[in-house]
Amino acid sequence: MDAQGGTRGAWLKWGGLIGALVVLGALAAVLVTTGKPGVSAKSTLRYEMAPLRQVDRALVKYAEERRIETGFTAVGGLALRPDGSVLVAGDSAVRTFAPDGKRAGEIRLSGPVRCVATDEAGKVYAGLRDHVEVYDAQGTPAARWDSLGEKARVTGLAVAADDVFVADSGGRVVVRCDKTGKVRNRIGARDPAKNVPGLVLPSEYLDVALGPGGLVYVNNTGRHRIEAYTVDGDLEHQWGKFSMDVDGFCGCCNPISFALRPGGGFVTSEKGIARVKLLDADGNLECIVAAPESFAEDAHGVDVALDGKGRVYVLDTGTRAVRIFSRRGEEEKK
Amino acid sequence: MAGTENAPSRREFLRAGLQGAALLGLGGLAGKLTTRSTSGKTVWQIDPSKCIQCERCAINCVLTPSAVKCVHAFNLCGYCELCTGFFEPKPNALNTGAENQLCPSGAIGRKFVEDPYFEYVIDETLCIGCSKCVKGCTSFGNGSLHMQVRHDRCLNCNECSIAVSCPSNAFVRVPASHPYLLKGRESA
Repeated sequence: MDAQGGTRGAWLKWGGLIGALVVLGALAAVLVTTGKPGVSAKSTLRYEMAPLRQVDRALVKYAEERRIETGFTAVGGLALRPDGSVLVAGDSAVRTFAPDGKRAGEIRLSGPVRCVATDEAGKVYAGLRDHVEVYDAQGTPAARWDSLGEKARVTGLAVAADDVFVADSGGRVVVRCDKTGKVRNRIGARDPAKNVPGLVLPSEYLDVALGPGGLVYVNNTGRHRIEAYTVDGDLEHQWGKFSMDVDGFCGCCNPISFALRPGGGFVTSEKGIARVKLLDADGNLECIVAAPESFAEDAHGVDVALDGKGRVYVLDTGTRAVRIFSRRGEEEKK
Repeated sequence: MAGTENAPSRREFLRAGLQGAALLGLGGLAGKLTTRSTSGKTVWQIDPSKCIQCERCAINCVLTPSAVKCVHAFNLCGYCELCTGFFEPKPNALNTGAENQLCPSGAIGRKFVEDPYFEYVIDETLCIGCSKCVKGCTSFGNGSLHMQVRHDRCLNCNECSIAVSCPSNAFVRVPASHPYLLKGRESA
């Protein structure tokens, strides 16, 4: 009996100890996971951005080759010249950087600048708040165009042989002007008669680019698509869809910037989940140029351009640098 | 004699004098109290430019639900059809189905304005102050949704338990005479 009683007592002692440990563990778990009754710290209360920023690394086929520090405190847009030099709009100036990245010149403007474009003669077109300023290749002022209106916000420019297309995100239109700044017509405004649904721009991002056949490409951010118009404003075709995944455009309003590839296709950039992608002519994803991890989580606004060698120039508003990305294989060949 | 008859008696004169003095004293006291209640007094508020939408306002307030609420600066809003403050990151459809809504308490109303624009209104009686919608709006949109301490609820604790835990020092003391730090124009 004594031996049995001793065994029983030992079992009881161990049982009690284990029970106490279980209760303590449960209490600890409750304390760790619960900050307040009814509100779990791991509940649905937090908006998790990290999973949205993850991409399949196999899709990232570009790497950063080098970068050009602009020296601006705030950057707006960039443009490339045929000779490989880079124009960057920032603060209240446009700076020119030689192909090797050294600063080659600066044009001081009358106010903050958002976008820049150039033509074959080397003229510089700078988009300020509500108007365009034109400078010759040496940086001498050539013209200051009339204001597009109190609500106008010039956020994109594209220059053709006879026309300049001014993207006005405030007016939700692309204004087609002649080379003297005289308005010819407006593109993208809602027009049921022409079956044009209109541009939906929740934020101040409207880009414009010229494609083959004289088509004018515009990013309709609120509808998550890119649209192609004739110069007279007829909607020719459109593509794009919403998706937080890389096969679409994320958030409320994207893409914020884009460029056309010489052989067809597009390079696009998005905000929210900052990412730069390479797409074919139908808008299908080919690969990722710059993954979200390449940018700060709060990076808003990234402008893109392409050079003749297929390199992608990314104006990163976070680092205020021009970051040049090239295909991994091509980088290795060098 | 007539002048003597119309003149107030000494008692009437003293009564009128006392009434005037009492009125003057009451007025002065009221003025003093009114001044004391606002000048120099401060209250807690959230600086929206510092807020990182960490959910602690919902968890750490001594009140349930929290005295912190989401407010909406309509003049900054894009009236998006796909509002990232209203919808889950990957919604099944752009409608008000509960499974598509980001807000855990269904505190955001969505109303059609005109194609393709929608208005979003916060029901503060349902808002628990988690800031999930603010994170969605700020990350992708214009940041028109933002958090504010509502002073009809806040107890203005000396040591605010949210302020103590706020990782970005977004809780600041502001004059009680200007108790809100609203984005955009006055909107909430």
